[in-house]
Amino acid sequence: MQLFDVVFYVFALITILSGCVVVFSKNIIYAAFSLLFTFFGVAALYVLLHADFLAVTQILIYVGGILVLLLFGVMLTNNVISVEMKTGTIQAIPALIIVAIVAGTLAGLSYSTWKGVAVPAPGGPQTTTGTLGQMLMTSYVIPFEIASVVLLVALIGAAMTARRHRNS
Amino acid sequence: MEIPLSYYLCLSVVLFVVGVAGVLTRRNAIVVFMCIELMLNSVNLTLIAFSSFLGSITGQALVFFAMAVAAAEAAVGLAIVIAIYRNKRTVDIDKINILKW
Amino acid sequence: MSDHLLNDLSLFAPETAITLTLVAAILADLIFRRTPLVVAALVLAGFVVTGLLLLGQTGVNASIFTGMIAVDSFAVFFKTIVVLAGILVVVFSMESGELNSPGRKLGEYYALLCAAALGMMLMAGASNLLMMYIAIELSSLSSYLLSGYTREAPDSSEASLKYLIYGAVSSGLMLYGISLMYGLSGSLDLRAINRALPQVLSGGGAASFTLLIAGVLALAGFGYKISAVPFHFWTPDVYEGAPITITAFLSVASKAGGFAMMIRFFKVTFIDAGAVALPAGTWATLQGFHWVDLVAILAVLSMTIGNLVAVWQNNLKRLLAYSSIAHAGYMLTGVVVLSNQGLAAIMVYFGVYLFMNLGAFYCVMLIADKTGSEDIDEYKGIGGRSPFLAVALAVFLVSLTGLPPTAGFIGKLYLFAALINSGWTWLAIVAALNSVIALYYYVRVFRNMFLRTEEPSSPGITLSWLQNAALVVLLVPTLLLGLYFTPLVQLAQASVRLFGTP
Repeated sequence: MQLFDVVFYVFALITILSGCVVVFSKNIIYAAFSLLFTFFGVAALYVLLHADFLAVTQILIYVGGILVLLLFGVMLTNNVISVEMKTGTIQAIPALIIVAIVAGTLAGLSYSTWKGVAVPAPGGPQTTTGTLGQMLMTSYVIPFEIASVVLLVALIGAAMTARRHRNS
Repeated sequence: MEIPLSYYLCLSVVLFVVGVAGVLTRRNAIVVFMCIELMLNSVNLTLIAFSSFLGSITGQALVFFAMAVAAAEAAVGLAIVIAIYRNKRTVDIDKINILKW
Repeated sequence: MSDHLLNDLSLFAPETAITLTLVAAILADLIFRRTPLVVAALVLAGFVVTGLLLLGQTGVNASIFTGMIAVDSFAVFFKTIVVLAGILVVVFSMESGELNSPGRKLGEYYALLCAAALGMMLMAGASNLLMMYIAIELSSLSSYLLSGYTREAPDSSEASLKYLIYGAVSSGLMLYGISLMYGLSGSLDLRAINRALPQVLSGGGAASFTLLIAGVLALAGFGYKISAVPFHFWTPDVYEGAPITITAFLSVASKAGGFAMMIRFFKVTFIDAGAVALPAGTWATLQGFHWVDLVAILAVLSMTIGNLVAVWQNNLKRLLAYSSIAHAGYMLTGVVVLSNQGLAAIMVYFGVYLFMNLGAFYCVMLIADKTGSEDIDEYKGIGGRSPFLAVALAVFLVSLTGLPPTAGFIGKLYLFAALINSGWTWLAIVAALNSVIALYYYVRVFRNMFLRTEEPSSPGITLSWLQNAALVVLLVPTLLLGLYFTPLVQLAQASVRLFGTP
């Protein structure tokens, strides 16, 4: 077993364990901080898969943006917001059984469809940033522009929704 | 010795399913958002694993967009949660579930 | 290269126009704070210009921006539906008492409406999985925000939150499906996937089953957009909680975008281009991928559950939500047929659904603005108080049921004909039985409007000339298309051509 393998298993373990804490922890603050470890673990796996630019983006967007936003949400609303999103019909046990079946099917399929193929190990120092940037400006320019509209909509909409209503 | 592609895929299946379990069982809206982020992270991991395996960068481009959208979605989601919180505190805290199935 | 880009940009003109309208609406809102009508007029003009630019695209069949977006008559048809719905909804919004309450700003509302329309137009044309994802998210995000627009009404924000959570989950499922398809085929472009699939499927059992799972997961995303069972849970709440203008917009435009995208996805990706000996206008699916049976089941479930649950509803807005689920089921049967006849039938159905559904919601809005209630029991005696409005609502509901001589009958007729022609007789029978259930709950509304006596104190409903004009604009096509439907049918039959399919 090489160092590369060890690194993979360590980060895989961190990712899954912290993911489980997010889902099963009763304390919402623990869940939020545990999500931090999941994001870091996934970012490390991106590095192993030679996606250096996205690994950095993952940390910037998920940790620096989304997680901070979620923590603000937790602090601003702090447990008062327990909106009942679901009917009583989906109980924990049946949900877990369904989920286990889905997991088995998906994992089995992934395993048998892509059996025995390996991801090439990283060679020398190389970066995807240039290639990705070029793609965004050439063949993916329209999705890139539309993404800017998406962000504009989110900006306007979030400001509009969260701001205090003037009359009340 | 290299890590097989299927290991990455199975890892992301586990992460995805953990996220789905959370969405199905948790009741706090913010925790549900966290679980949705878990699902999206696992999908991104699958895409990058495929991208690396296929030697094509299009998968990474999709991940880039998925991240941008996830950020937008989180912002909008939190804004809505705060709007609801304001209503519940000021309007009527007992009527937490007005709309029925 | 630059010539290429300029040509692509000229074919992208309608989308550019609606984007500019979005920006202009935000700026106009900052300048004309006191007069919200300016923004409304501007947005109306923007939608009309977009519609005119779309008219200039008839007969184009091209793929622009390196295969990201297809501009073909099929996309143009659905974009036209979205833009027409946009125009009508802007007119409704100018008249809505719910939205125009004192102190409410409407600049963002109109801007988000433009963004939603842009997303839905892109959905109709997207021919790359990445573009599809971005388009679906743009339309979804704007829809979440719009459905929570009257945020001081508690049910509006709550509907918005439910909508967002269901939307995020189903788009996560869809993205997972997309990633599996990418892993199998190595591409995100629909036609490239189609070319790669025969080789993938020849590999054996595991790969074809994985492809089926990927298709099912993608279907979750589409099913959510068109609100088909079992992805419909958000529909009744959002339709009831959202401002009624937005409900009307979502029920038509969002469905149009979702259907266009779903049909393009399945038809371009899973069609067997090498199939031989097929009658003209029908297609074959790739060997080993039986998504048609799955769609048939979804269609039956959507029709039946939508109609059965609607029977117990007392809120007319909620009743129309369930009825729209049922209509998604009827339209899904057109996908099952796998022929150009089925596609044309769906398009004819959308052509009439646009007018009858928007009309029904408009009547509900006018009545709710005056009586303050959407409860069916409050409709007692409306026939006596406001005959024109009551008759208009009755016509729209009859058309939604699918009875002659209204346009809804033509829509159903073409769907059933397509089903029976291709041997899906049992599905046609199920759909027909469902129409009978639909008649039952619509009759409740008629009975309350015309046969029940009014309470003595209730005031009459008087309409402004603009409201009357809008009703007439919606009524005329609903009745006319029931009698003189040839142009719509010809338009639909001419528009079935998708880019990249035989």
